[in-house]
Amino acid sequence: METKLDILQGTLDLMVLQTLSTLGSLHGYGIARRIEQISGDRVILNQGTIYTSLVRLQQRGWIRSKWGVSEHNRRARYYAITKAGERQLAAQTQQWQRLAAVMGRVLAAGESKP
Amino acid sequence: MIARLRTLWSRLIALVTGRRLDREFNEELATHLALLVNEGVRDGLSPDEARRAAIRRLGRPDVLLESHRAQRGIPLIGVLRQDLRYAIRTLARTPVFTLVVTVSLALGIGANTALFSLVDDLLLRSLPVPAPDRLVQVQQSAEFMGIRKPMPVYPPPLFDVVRANDQIVSEVVGFSRLDRPLIAIGGVIEPTREVDRVSSNFFRDLGVAFAAGRPPDQADGPVAVLGHRLWRDRFHGAADAIGQMIVVDNAPVPIVGVAAAGFSGLMLDSATDLWLSTPTPGALQMIARLAPGVTAARARAALQSVLPQPEGVPVPMDVELRPAGMGLSVLREQYERPLWALSVLVTVLLLITCTNIGSLLMVRSAGRRRELMVRVALGALRSRLLTYSLVESAVLGAIGGAGALVVAAGGVSLLLSMLPLPVAPQQLAFHVDMRVLAFTAGTALASALLFGLLPAWRMTKIEIDGALRSGRGETAPVRVRRLGRVLVASQVALSVILLVGAGLFLQTLRNLSTLDLGFDPDRLVQVLIDTRAAGYGRGKVSEVSRLLLERVGAVPGVESVTAVRNPLLRGAMSRGLVRLPGLDVGPDEAWDAADVGPEFFETMGIRIVNGRAFIASDFTHRAPALVVNEAWVRRYFPHDDPVARQIGIVGVVDNVRLAGVREEAGPTMFMPTQPEPDRINALEIRTIGDPRPVLPALRDTIRRINPRLLVGVSTMREEIDRGVARERIVAATSGFFGALGLVLVAVGIFGVASSTVAQRTNELGIRMALGATRQSVVGEALRETMWVSAAGLAVGLCAAFAAVQLAGSVIAGLLFGLTPTDALSLAGAAAVIVAVVAAACIGPARRATSIDPLTAIRHE
Repeated sequence: METKLDILQGTLDLMVLQTLSTLGSLHGYGIARRIEQISGDRVILNQGTIYTSLVRLQQRGWIRSKWGVSEHNRRARYYAITKAGERQLAAQTQQWQRLAAVMGRVLAAGESKP
Repeated sequence: MIARLRTLWSRLIALVTGRRLDREFNEELATHLALLVNEGVRDGLSPDEARRAAIRRLGRPDVLLESHRAQRGIPLIGVLRQDLRYAIRTLARTPVFTLVVTVSLALGIGANTALFSLVDDLLLRSLPVPAPDRLVQVQQSAEFMGIRKPMPVYPPPLFDVVRANDQIVSEVVGFSRLDRPLIAIGGVIEPTREVDRVSSNFFRDLGVAFAAGRPPDQADGPVAVLGHRLWRDRFHGAADAIGQMIVVDNAPVPIVGVAAAGFSGLMLDSATDLWLSTPTPGALQMIARLAPGVTAARARAALQSVLPQPEGVPVPMDVELRPAGMGLSVLREQYERPLWALSVLVTVLLLITCTNIGSLLMVRSAGRRRELMVRVALGALRSRLLTYSLVESAVLGAIGGAGALVVAAGGVSLLLSMLPLPVAPQQLAFHVDMRVLAFTAGTALASALLFGLLPAWRMTKIEIDGALRSGRGETAPVRVRRLGRVLVASQVALSVILLVGAGLFLQTLRNLSTLDLGFDPDRLVQVLIDTRAAGYGRGKVSEVSRLLLERVGAVPGVESVTAVRNPLLRGAMSRGLVRLPGLDVGPDEAWDAADVGPEFFETMGIRIVNGRAFIASDFTHRAPALVVNEAWVRRYFPHDDPVARQIGIVGVVDNVRLAGVREEAGPTMFMPTQPEPDRINALEIRTIGDPRPVLPALRDTIRRINPRLLVGVSTMREEIDRGVARERIVAATSGFFGALGLVLVAVGIFGVASSTVAQRTNELGIRMALGATRQSVVGEALRETMWVSAAGLAVGLCAAFAAVQLAGSVIAGLLFGLTPTDALSLAGAAAVIVAVVAAACIGPARRATSIDPLTAIRHE
């Protein structure tokens, strides 16, 4: 049985950055939905936690926000990635890939022994 | 006022924007919830079900708001608490490391705190009275026969003369220390107490706070004010002390008040226990508070014109105003420069400590790289790692700072015990107050930042994959190693500076201690007596002097004894001029003159260069018989034999340092004591063997003649030690700093060298397997350490040289027999450093040569 994945701290931030980088300006709901869809609903996401991530990213200047109107005529805050955010995303992506590769190798080596 | 308004304003803003941010966040959540509900309804749920599902997926709004606030506000507090717990756990796991770091920090900061405490008490702290910066001591002085002599005390009419200038001075008070008065409380005679006679306006006009009772009034007769310490010790701080009688020199006086704890008189070096206020105080030292806005120069000019020329003084007197707001202190005059010099050295010591701890932390963090790597890989922010390592440094700093207070307390009392005073000055004793606490905490914090920041910053530069891949055998990244090298080199350089300082002061002490004084100080005892205080007037002195010489000469163990007018090595020196027939002497000239009794030269062991010493008939005949020293001959008879050519001069002796160890002997003339001297202030006694066992018998003998005669007994060696006490304190302290610095440097070098060897075990093993010799392996392993030390040494020597050149004028006054740029000190410092570096490398070098190639290669 395939279990759902717990989100590692820091990972969610990276996902949010990637989402905003791909789709441009989005509100919190949009970001949460997008992450759920992309992951094939395999990530457990208490959607509210996205907001902590958004505040954090905003504090670091990697995203910015402004108020707009949602598809149902409600006021919503729209988030967009900044230049610094793009740079951070690139750096983190690379790091993740390297780490994943290393982890893969390490774990593979472990599996080959009894 | 403005600052307060602004603080209030920004708090209001925060409150308002805080509410607004909450509202906005709730609105954001509401939108999110609405969109989720829409989604549920689209999927075919009932509105109620959709709503419940939406809340499940989003999370409870109140919980979300709480975590939003935490993120938005200052999340640091919680994070810090977490870091603190983790830091304490981590440090407790490596007790040796923690101990080494905190002990060296405690020593480094403690030394700084100790010096700060002394600097603060002696050089920075004002008297606890209003407007202390306007207090001055008023006195006249004149240059007379080559030395400036002050006239320190003034009778009441002159106080009124000064007080009349109310444009210039606002208050004038007087005080004078009594000479060993007899104090009795409740019929019991007190041990030595310091008593000041003061004018009746002393407390009110100075503005001294009172702990009990009231300050004396103009209307009072003789009344006493207790010092806080005496009140506590003898009256247990009870209010009923007021009104009791205290007996001062057989006269009972009522106690009217107790001065507040912070005020212990105007003499910083010895606290006042009791003040005696009388309407007719006699001559007193004059302390004035200048009127607001009056400069010292203007006040001086004004007082110069009103203070009369004292009768019988042939030269015009100048008015001097000496700052008195910090109390009067001889110690301050003597120790101001040494304290500043030591402050510089102690700062250098702290820098070494910090650099050392910095490199220890780096070595340790190198060992933790993998752990940190994993944390970074798992998303820990680099800034979080930085905060964490700063928290760890702060914990170390806090422990070190607490230990520093203990070290400082010990250090200060040790230094004070080295002062040449009968009792250590109470005001300078170490006490923890806000200033000392603030200084210690500030220093600890600054140190923690200094030693924590660099390694912490380095630590956050960790490359994830590199670290995860690296095995045990791999050396640290190049940048980390470079920083480590810089740290070690700085330690070496800083300790060179410390050693050069220590070397200069140690050599000064050696030069002074081994100085040829012109007499033989071994087996010599100096007894201070005071014929005048004991009540012997002119005509009576010769009688008691004869008695003294006779009785003391009969004490077992005494070889010979002589009486002199001025004690030796106590700075007291008479000046005089004897008109000799045919000798051309300028009108302003004078030379040192010493009145000495029979057997002076024999007892003192002074070498007769030419002619003879005094004989018995010189003391009875009126015909002049004078002995001069070589300096006098060089000055007045450079080409002739004065004994043969000058009537009156019967002998020439070596140059003798009479006034003090540091005082070069000038032209000096020895004169036989007159048949009826006005006073005798010392006996010089040559003993047959070790003088110390004879001292009690000497004391007893003199007390039996008259108990009030004796002032003090000490061996001449003790007198010399007293004379070089300042140099001894400076040398001991700077030597201690130097030694401490060396230990730290040795630890640093050892750490770097052994970690290099450990990291390169593999490579060195291969080299040995391939046939490298032991020497080349050692060279290879330690080459880096050697280069780094050499660089540090070179930089340190240059810095030390530049420093002593820059501060040359300050340092020169503290040195004796050498210049600040003394080659031996520089070379000695270099030699010591080389030796310590070599010693610290022995262990790692052994380990390098004992590497077994096979084990080393398998090591990987």
